[in-house]
Amino acid sequence: MREQFEAKMLRIHFGEGDKWQGKPLHEAIVAKCQELGLANAIVYRGIEGYGASSRIHHSSLWRFSKDAPIMLSIIDREEQINKLLPHLDGMVEEGLIAISSVEVIRLSRTAAKL
Amino acid sequence: MLNAGKALKVSIYISEGSTHHGIATYSSILDFLFYRGVSGATVTKGIAGFGADHHIHTSRSVEISDRLPLKIEFIESRETVNELLGKLEELVGTGMIEVQETTVAKPAQKTNLKHDAPPAHMKIEGKAKMMRIYIGESDRWRDKPLYTALVEAMRANDIAGVTVYRGILGYGAHRRIHRDRPLHLSHDSSIMLSAIDAEEKLQSFMPIVEQMVEEGLIVLSNVDIIKYAYRAEGLDPAEADSSSTDQKTEGEQKQ
Repeated sequence: MREQFEAKMLRIHFGEGDKWQGKPLHEAIVAKCQELGLANAIVYRGIEGYGASSRIHHSSLWRFSKDAPIMLSIIDREEQINKLLPHLDGMVEEGLIAISSVEVIRLSRTAAKL
Repeated sequence: MLNAGKALKVSIYISEGSTHHGIATYSSILDFLFYRGVSGATVTKGIAGFGADHHIHTSRSVEISDRLPLKIEFIESRETVNELLGKLEELVGTGMIEVQETTVAKPAQKTNLKHDAPPAHMKIEGKAKMMRIYIGESDRWRDKPLYTALVEAMRANDIAGVTVYRGILGYGAHRRIHRDRPLHLSHDSSIMLSAIDAEEKLQSFMPIVEQMVEEGLIVLSNVDIIKYAYRAEGLDPAEADSSSTDQKTEGEQKQ
């Protein structure tokens, strides 16, 4: 089955060490996305980078650093993305949130709703 | 350089284990042909055969597997072949040389990368599309991982470049959480492939993706290509290093 539509891609950049209510922030946001019924959320870990505070995030094999840059990407219809935005204001204390317009083609074996 | 038209094809049959002055015969012959300017030669290895000694040599029996038949073939003009035959007869030892008339329909050409125009995909600039494909790490296409198959398919279709990313945590269509844990190596992380090329190129590749990906998301967005530099193969690194690196920088265009 194939569907094609306009959607938004939301990307949130922060550090792996960031926490929200004692939980890693990326896990908390993924859980929030599930709770709100967003179609997907994927967390990527960068191997090096720096962000708002200009401290270099590094993930080294030798000293297992917990401060690698994290990028969380969500793709869904605009109204779904808008449901998440107010929550992010409280959760992401330091970081960057970017939204871009995308065109999505969804392929599935069974009919499912995005 | 060989031209189209009448020529001679020389086939030399030797045994893999035979040597000439201490080095493998086929390698001596190949070196000889190479330094005499022959336009091309191919060595093929048989999997079984027999020759003048009437012993069957086959790859099944370990002890004589170094006696497998080798065939060296090259095609050259009659004059060149006549010049080479004397020395070749000495080199082959107990082997056989066969010469047959042949016709060259299209001679091979030198690949002259230095003066070649860069391939079409190397010239993209300005407005382009970014295609992201979201699949699972355990998805397969025929006998290989789907992401590997997609990268190969893109390469074969001249897509300018693709990078595969593995998510460390995520969920998608089935609301099932993919998690990458260091201890029990998960093979079902989210995989994202990101490719950038001209819109027409990606659009023409789309049916192939759609046929390969049974389940997943394809996401297209507009990007501006700021720089796409490459290093041409065969180019002297010192000449190439001024501005050419295998790097691609892109700026996402906000709509």
